Amino acid sequence: MGATPPILLNNVGVRYNMRLKKKRTLRRSITQASRFDAKGHFWALRNIDLEIKDGETVAVIGGNGAGKSTLLMTLAGILAPDEGSIAVYGSIATLLHVGAGFDDELNAEENILLVGAFLGVPASAMRKKIPEIIDFAGIGDFAKSEVRTYSSGMRARLGFAVATSVNPDVLLIDEVLSTGDASFRDKARDRMLELMQKARAVVYVTHDLSSAKAFCTRSIELEGGKIIADGPARSIIDAYEKKMRGTLR
Amino acid sequence: MSIGGGCYPLATMATASLRLTVGRPRRGPIGTIAETLRSIYQRRRLLMYLTVARVRQDGGNSILGNFWLILDPAIQLAIYYFLVGVVLNRPQANFPLFLFAAILPWRWFTMALSSATESVRGHDKVMRQIAFPQIVLPLSAVAASTTSFFFGLIPLFSLYLVYPDRLTSWVLALPLVIGVQVLWTLPFAIMFSALNVFLRDISSLVRHGLRLGFYVSPALFSFEKIQGLLAPYPPAHLLLDLNPMAWILNAYRDLLYEGRSADWGALLVVALASIPFSLLSIYLFRRLAPSFVKVL
Repeated sequence: MGATPPILLNNVGVRYNMRLKKKRTLRRSITQASRFDAKGHFWALRNIDLEIKDGETVAVIGGNGAGKSTLLMTLAGILAPDEGSIAVYGSIATLLHVGAGFDDELNAEENILLVGAFLGVPASAMRKKIPEIIDFAGIGDFAKSEVRTYSSGMRARLGFAVATSVNPDVLLIDEVLSTGDASFRDKARDRMLELMQKARAVVYVTHDLSSAKAFCTRSIELEGGKIIADGPARSIIDAYEKKMRGTLR
Repeated sequence: MSIGGGCYPLATMATASLRLTVGRPRRGPIGTIAETLRSIYQRRRLLMYLTVARVRQDGGNSILGNFWLILDPAIQLAIYYFLVGVVLNRPQANFPLFLFAAILPWRWFTMALSSATESVRGHDKVMRQIAFPQIVLPLSAVAASTTSFFFGLIPLFSLYLVYPDRLTSWVLALPLVIGVQVLWTLPFAIMFSALNVFLRDISSLVRHGLRLGFYVSPALFSFEKIQGLLAPYPPAHLLLDLNPMAWILNAYRDLLYEGRSADWGALLVVALASIPFSLLSIYLFRRLAPSFVKVL
């Protein structure tokens, strides 16, 4: 066999114990009874077999609650699978919730180092990136002020700039292109495309089907925690769009 | 990371250039503890940044800023002095020093545990974004309260200006007692922070437990006095004997107030007894950690 793929999932299942989560009654009422097992665990993902090869950019599509975010968090190592096995090789960058990890009492530079430390990037490497990050985020004069004084747009821009300052092997994205104003959105889009090209594997969760068609080489559709379609992005997304239009009518 | 189904060979097929980042097989208790300790060492910078941020939070939005680090314990002392020394009229020679020698370390213990208990819960956002060893969260809470304890030593040592005869070279042995207290603070901090994710009630229980602990520890009264009071009630007396903080506070008072050697044998026992608790708490935390994000 050839080189090991950057991402390999084997019969992966992730479940939530609904007794610990308060959402029990709400979720139960939704017609998803098949996703509960005998013990009352809710399986957000089940029987996922997935191999992502070098150079692939995979769009994950599907309705709300299909398991898209759970899949990304599992790939990032934030959630551990409850069954099956997972292997992800290389450095990982996640763009899941932009701006997570910031501390209000620290200024921009200190927050950059803090997020770098959360990510496990050495301080010396992170320090070199500070001017570039601040420049990209357009923070300028506010670099020495505490983040609590920032507007929500500045926060989001800084968060995006920090999260995309690394060069990951595996890039996991959960719909973050809608950050900031129009001019920043274009800049962010360019930065994302650049990162996507450099990364060995990209998994991109989105509801923006046209951008998924434009960026991605492959697409998988999730429904009820299972992969129901997998193939070239264009054909899978076209079929999905057709299906969605059908249900609306 | 936990892996079911015994599919371990994946880990050995690593591409030469890239290391496996997600999907390492689960290890036994000793391996888990060793791995956790290693991850703490690797993320020592994260620990440092989080600690700095937390210390700053306390002084943050105020006019006096970090001066509160010194003012806060001093005011607390004044209140207790007034309460116990003046209102209850329980005069002990050089009472402020007697009181402060034990109240300051107890305050440290309380701050460490209450902030550590909330530490994991309070970082739910970043835990959903980045995979990192979450054990640094309670550790940074302990480190931050330790910093503020050191600032509290400033008003404590200022008291020697009023009572210069009380200052002896036994003060130099203080780091040993501080070390023993750290050893006992860590396992509680780690354990409570993990349990509080699943049971919100833990933080209330910790708060009330600490208040109770304050009165059954020799903080306001001398060790001998409490021993005498509890002598008719063997179970309560046993509780006092088993309370590591009682021995630790007593040691502080020996060094800082009485100016004599502490009971080093007892302290050594207390220190050694903390080790199994620390290891257990680390193991427990690591086993519960994969479920944190699912619950929060």
